[in-house]
Amino acid sequence: MTFDGRDGAISLPQVEADSYSAVCSLIDGCLVCGDVAVPVTVVWPGEPDAVCEDAQGQRGPVGVELVAPVESGDRLLVHGGIAISRLEEEL
Amino acid sequence: MKYVDEYRDAELARTLGSEITALAEPGRHYKVMEVCGGHTHTIYKHGIEDHLPESVELVHGPGCPVCVIPMGRVDDGISIARQPNVIFTCFGDMMRVPGGNGSLLDVKAEGADVRFVYSPLDALKIARNNPDKEVVFFAIGFETTAPSTALTLMRAKAEKLRNFSVMCNHVTIVPPLMALLESPDLRLDAFIGPGHVSTVIGCRPYEFIPADYGQPVVVAGFEPLDLLQSIYMIMRQLAEGRNEVENQYGRVVPWEGNLRALDILQRVFELRPYFEWRGLGFISQSALKLSQEYADFDAELRWEIPGVRVADPKACQCGEVLKGVIKPWECKVFGTACTPETPIGTCMVSSEGACAAYYNFGRFARSKERAGA
Repeated sequence: MTFDGRDGAISLPQVEADSYSAVCSLIDGCLVCGDVAVPVTVVWPGEPDAVCEDAQGQRGPVGVELVAPVESGDRLLVHGGIAISRLEEEL
Repeated sequence: MKYVDEYRDAELARTLGSEITALAEPGRHYKVMEVCGGHTHTIYKHGIEDHLPESVELVHGPGCPVCVIPMGRVDDGISIARQPNVIFTCFGDMMRVPGGNGSLLDVKAEGADVRFVYSPLDALKIARNNPDKEVVFFAIGFETTAPSTALTLMRAKAEKLRNFSVMCNHVTIVPPLMALLESPDLRLDAFIGPGHVSTVIGCRPYEFIPADYGQPVVVAGFEPLDLLQSIYMIMRQLAEGRNEVENQYGRVVPWEGNLRALDILQRVFELRPYFEWRGLGFISQSALKLSQEYADFDAELRWEIPGVRVADPKACQCGEVLKGVIKPWECKVFGTACTPETPIGTCMVSSEGACAAYYNFGRFARSKERAGA
């Protein structure tokens, strides 16, 4: 499946959805317009969009300009389709 | 589930509850405001109050962006949505917020092309795919959400998209906190700071609260243990006579915030001289509009909007709820005329609204409060 990035069509065969909403559905219900953001993992690095996966396994593009560069496995916090922070989780 | 279960451990929650109780001074009542609607949601969903002693009262703040949108702005949005050839986009919760004459959902039912999106980037995509239509995004939210609108506008400008515009209703968190601190209606002991807003603005902007008002602020995460730990940190500060800004949510919130996000916010937006907040009235320099550089994308300049102030329905007490003066269930229409299905006030619309959180998850707490009354 492809989606249109800023620089034209990018081939992202692993993407299962082409909407920025794909990684916005929080386990607790989607609270897109509030102060709630969703933790995701980068599975396909890229700029300006990287493919990320949320805790439910949903994948979708995420705008990563504010935290770039990103690598596979990086943990990000996504709100409204863009990554606003990196996660420094130590468990 | 990794990264989730660790922050929902019941045994740790009980321990934190006991520690908080041990720190509470006998005979003293503590009023702690959680500023953010996301925290309100967590508190009721996970029954956080059940772990707290009765002397620690959580008061809900104005941090739900849907809840603070005044009816007049909804009407302004509706007037644009009714224009021919317009695709009007907004976040899902916004569609049900009643204006003076119905909601965006009503206008959609009448035939207007109103669509909800999860990201302004999706609205941009709609604009790309519909070059013969005018696509408008109704932007709401605090500093958490404003960067996504800013990035979208930067992409629109780079792509020279002429059929995309934004009706900007972004608000900032510090001015309403100042307004609350100056309000004679409300006396608070401390604040639970908004976690994800702070991801962008950092912790420094709250330093005036301990410095000028002598109250602790602890920036908190959104899992149950995050909230309990932040209440514990507040209680420890109060017990030790300290007033500081502390960051409980260090795994996400850098002290300085996201400098790149702050930089683009400065480039794309400028402060409005004043903005109306539901329940709080007009607050100066509390909202954003598009900067001169992005004026071409300003929907308010592209269309004529009524810009009329609409008074809230008399029965609705959202104002008092947003200021933490009354509990949601103390509102006359709570759960009767006003429900999530047929909301009268905005606090019942958004899942982050204090009324909706109480309605959905807090009935047990409510019956307990009633039993104690």
